[in-house]
Amino acid sequence: MKTLLIGEYREGKLLESTCELLGFANQLGAETAMLLVGSENQLPVYSGTLYLADVAACGEYNPGLHKKLILEAVQKESPDYIVFLHSSYGWDLAPRVAASLRIAQVSEIVAIVDGGFEVGCCNGKMRRTVKPATAQAVLTIQAGAFPVLQPGGSPEIRKLSATDGGALEFIGYEAAEKKDVDLAKAEVIVSAGRGVGKKDNIPVIAALAKALGGEMGASRPVVDAEWVSHSHQVGTTGQTVSPKLYVACGISGAIQHLAGMKKSDFIIAINKDKDAPIGEIADVLVVADVMQFVPALTARVAR
Amino acid sequence: MFLDLTEEQKLIQDTARDFARVELEPAAAALDQGGDRSPLLANLKKLAELGFMGLNVKGEYGGSETGVVSFSLAVTEIARACASTAVTVSVNNMVAEVIQAVGSEEQRNAYIPKICSGEFSAGGFALTETGAGSDPAGMCTQAVDDGDSWVLNGAKIFITSAPYAGVFVVWAVTDKEAPKGKGISCFLVEAGTKGLIIGKEEKKMGQHASATNEVIFDDCRIPKSALMGKRNDGFRIAAGELAGGRIGIGSLGLGVGLAAMDYATRYVTERSQFGQKLSNFQAIQWMIADAYTELEAARLLLMSAACRKEFGRSFAKEASMAKMFATEAANKACYSALQMLGGYGYTQDFPVERYARDARITSIYEGTNEIQRLIISREILKNIS
Amino acid sequence: MKLLVCIKQVPDLESRFKPDAAGVWYNETDLAFRMNEYDEYAVEQAVQLREKLGEGTELTVLSIGPDRVVEALKKALAMGCDNAAHIQDPAASGKDPWQIASIIAAYAKDKGFDVIFTGMQSQDRGSAQVGVTIAEQLGLACTTTIVSFDYDNGTITAKRELEGGIKGVVKLKTPALVTCQLGLNVPRYPTLPNIMKAKKKEITAIPVVELLREEALATTASFHPPAKKGGGIVLEGDVSDLVDKVIAILKDKTAVLR
Ligand SMILES: Cc1cc2nc3c(=O)[nH]c(=O)nc-3n(C[C@H](O)[C@H](O)[C@H](O)COP(=O)(O)OP(=O)(O)OC[C@H]3O[C@@H](n4cnc5c(N)ncnc54)[C@H](O)[C@@H]3O)c2cc1C
Repeated sequence: MKTLLIGEYREGKLLESTCELLGFANQLGAETAMLLVGSENQLPVYSGTLYLADVAACGEYNPGLHKKLILEAVQKESPDYIVFLHSSYGWDLAPRVAASLRIAQVSEIVAIVDGGFEVGCCNGKMRRTVKPATAQAVLTIQAGAFPVLQPGGSPEIRKLSATDGGALEFIGYEAAEKKDVDLAKAEVIVSAGRGVGKKDNIPVIAALAKALGGEMGASRPVVDAEWVSHSHQVGTTGQTVSPKLYVACGISGAIQHLAGMKKSDFIIAINKDKDAPIGEIADVLVVADVMQFVPALTARVAR
Repeated sequence: MFLDLTEEQKLIQDTARDFARVELEPAAAALDQGGDRSPLLANLKKLAELGFMGLNVKGEYGGSETGVVSFSLAVTEIARACASTAVTVSVNNMVAEVIQAVGSEEQRNAYIPKICSGEFSAGGFALTETGAGSDPAGMCTQAVDDGDSWVLNGAKIFITSAPYAGVFVVWAVTDKEAPKGKGISCFLVEAGTKGLIIGKEEKKMGQHASATNEVIFDDCRIPKSALMGKRNDGFRIAAGELAGGRIGIGSLGLGVGLAAMDYATRYVTERSQFGQKLSNFQAIQWMIADAYTELEAARLLLMSAACRKEFGRSFAKEASMAKMFATEAANKACYSALQMLGGYGYTQDFPVERYARDARITSIYEGTNEIQRLIISREILKNIS
Repeated sequence: MKLLVCIKQVPDLESRFKPDAAGVWYNETDLAFRMNEYDEYAVEQAVQLREKLGEGTELTVLSIGPDRVVEALKKALAMGCDNAAHIQDPAASGKDPWQIASIIAAYAKDKGFDVIFTGMQSQDRGSAQVGVTIAEQLGLACTTTIVSFDYDNGTITAKRELEGGIKGVVKLKTPALVTCQLGLNVPRYPTLPNIMKAKKKEITAIPVVELLREEALATTASFHPPAKKGGGIVLEGDVSDLVDKVIAILKDKTAVLR
C-alpha cells in the first residue's frame, strides 16, 4: 500500500501538523511519499521521497496550481491514497484532486477501522464507516486524531514545478483580531475553582491557560468572590462551553458548573478530594493540590 | 382530518423559536430581576419588524395576515423564552385586532400600522377596574358627551404595557341608566392625551418585565371621533375580543409549561441520587408522563380553537376551554418541574422558579379560570333548554 | 446577473440519532429538520448581493431531497431568493458527495450562473466536499470557508478563515463558487409577511433522474455512535510523576500538545 501525503506550509513555516500525516500512514502500514509546496530550508524530518515545489514560485494558497503539482506526483507514484489534513488547506484542495481523478474522497477521518475509515458526523455525535469504491482515494484526516510521528532522516527530494492554473489571486494574510475572553470559541479552557484558595493564586491558573493556548474560566464562587470577572464564569449563570480540553482546577463539580462544561471533548480535573463529583464526568482526575500540581504542569508544558 | 401545520405555519413557528432562543432567552433572567426595561422594548421593536404584532391583521394595515393558528404558535414559542415578552405580544395583537374589527377606516389607518410596525412599543387594553374585574360590566369610569368631545373620568387597574403603550382601547360608561352592560362604549385614547395619567406600577410575583399599571382619567378630553364602534355597544366588543385574546394567553401558558418541563426533563437525566439518574425513578417518570400529556392536550385544544377562529366559526367556548386547560396544565407542569429539580428548582440559579412565577398569572388574567368555566357551562347549557 | 445558492435540510443537531434499518444513516422518524446552518450564511450572502445588484439580477435557491425540503426552500424564498428549484429525491441521503455535486452541476451547467454560494459543509454529513466538487465539475474558480465577501464588477474579494483566527485574502473572477462559514454574516430572520408572500414565488420541481448521471464513489458501511468513553481514570501519587502522566495523556488524547 502506498500513500502520497500532502504537507502544509503557511506564513513561511512548515506546519508541525504535517507529522500527523506520517502518524496516519504509519498506522495504515503504508509506504509513503510526500509532497510539499514549501522550501528546502524547512524539510520534514523523514527519509522517504519528497516532491518539493518552491513556495516562492507556487504560492502558499493557489489551489489550481497545487492541484496540478499533486496530479503530477500522483502520476509518478500511483499511490493508493492521497492524504491531506482536514484543514483550511486540505479541505479546500482535496476535493479538487479527487474530482480531477474521479476518485472517492473520505473526509475528516478519525480512525482506521476494519473495512474502511471512521469519520465523524452529526456534529461529532455519531460516526460513519466509509469505504472508497474506487481503487485510489483522497483522504483527509482530522487534526489531532493521529499521533505526530517524526521518524528522522532527511528526505530524498524530487523537484516539481508548474506554472499557471490559478483562477484566483492570493492577496495575503490578515492577523487574528485581538479580543476579550471569548470562552465560547476557546479550544482550551483552564478553570479556577474555590480550591485555588485565594485571589493571589489566580495568575497560576491563568499561566497554565496561556501555556496551553487557551482561556481561563472560573466557577461561580471564584466570580462571586471577585477573584475574576463574570465574563470568565462557566455554568448555568455563566457560559456554556464545549472546548476540546477543559481543565478544572480545584472545582468540586456543583451541578450548576457541570451543566456548563460537561460537553467538553476531554476533561481533566485537579482536586485534592478523590470523591469530588467532578470525578464523575472527568476523563482524568488528578488527585493533587492545585497549587503544587498546576505550576509544575505549566512549567513542563511551556518547555 | 389532518393534524399538521402548513409549511408557512412551520416556518413562522421556526422563526419565532429561533428568535426566542437567540434574542429573548438570554435576556429573560435579567429582565425578571427588574430594573432596566430597555432590552424588552428593543426586542418588541424587532418582533414588530418581523411581523409579530399583527399576525391576524390585514396587510393594508401593516399586518402579516398569517392567521390565528400562527398567532398561537408564535406566542407559545416566545413564551418558552420570555413570558413577559409573550404577554406583550399577545395583548398588542389583541389591541390591533379590536381596532381592525370595530374601528372605522380612519381609526384603523391611524393606529394599527403603528402597533404593527413597532412605532408604538405596545397598545393598551383598558377594561379592568378596582371594582370591576371578573365583572367588567360593573365598571365606573365614565365618558360624558360634551359637544364636540368626550370627557373621561375614572381609573383602570392592572393595565399591561401602560407606560410604553402608544394607544389605549378604553371602556367607559356612556349611559348610566341603561341595564348592566348595555351602556358601555369603547374609545381610543392616545398616550400623552391631557388628563390620561399612568399611575403606579404593580409589584408582581412574576412577569416582571411586563409593566402592569393603574391608568387614571382626570377630565381626559378626547375628540368625538375617538368613539370606536357604536355608542353603548362596547361591552359586546370587549367580550368578543377577549375570546380571541384567550387563545393568546392559553398559548402563552403552554409555552411556559413546556419550557419548565423541557428543562426539568433534561435535568433529571443528568442528576443522580442513590447511585442512579433521577429519571430512573418511577415517581419522576410519572411526572414527566402526566405533564407532557396535559400539555399536548392543551396544544390540541388551542389548535382547535385557533382553527375555528381562523375559519370564521364560533370559537368562544373552545377558546375558553383551551385557555382554562392550558393555563392549568402549565401551572401543574411548573409545579412538577420545580419538584423534579428539588432544592435547586427553588433557587434563581435555575430558570424553573421563574417559569413557575410567570405561569401563575395565566389562570387569572383575561378572565379567571372560574370565569372561563362559567362561559363554557353557559354555552353548553344554553343549547339544552 | 444570475446567482445560485445551494441549501440542504438537516435535522436539529440537538436530536438523538438512531441508525436506520440499513444501519448506514440516521432514522428520520421524529427528527425536526431545518436549513443547514452554513447554508443560512450562504443564503444571506446571496440575498445581500442580490439586493446590492438590484433589478436584472435573479437569485435561485436549490435543494435536493424529499418533499420536506420545500420548507427550507420557502425559508430561503422568504429571506429574499427569487425562485427555487426542488430536485426531488427521496433517496438523497444515500448519495455520496460526488453524486450530489454532479446533480447540482448538471442542473447549473447551461444556466450561466455568475456566482454560486454553498455552505462550507453540512452539519449532518460534514464532508465539506460538495461545493468545491461542483466548481471542479463546472470549471469555476472557487474558494472555501469564507468569512467576508465583496463583489465588484466581475471580481469577488473574499476572506478565508484559516486556523488560529488568521484570514487569507483572495480575489476571484466570476463565474465563481464560494463556500460559506460561520462569521460571514448574521442571517436575517424571514419576516412573517415575506413568509406569506413566498407562497407565490415559483418552485420548479425536477425529478432527480433527469440530472443524475454518476455512480457513487464511496459507500457508507455503517452509522453508529462513537465508542463510549470508559470511566475516567484517577491519577494519584507524587507531583512530578503526575505531571509526566498528564503530559503523556495530553499528547495522546488531545490535539493540544504535540
Ligand atoms: C399582570 C396582570 C395583567 C393584567 N392586564 C390587564 C390588561 O391589560 N387589561 C385589563 O383590562 N385587565 C388586566 N388585568 C386584570 C385581570 O384581567 C383581572 O385581574 C382578572 O380579570 C380578575 O379580576 P380581579 O383581579 O378583579 O379578580 P376578582 O374578580 O375579584 O376575582 C377574585 C376571585 O373570585 C373569583 N370569582 C369572581 N367572580 C366569580 C364568579 N361569578 N363565579 C366564581 N368565581 C368568581 C375569581 O375567579 C377569582 O378567583 C391584568 C391583571 C394582572 C394581574
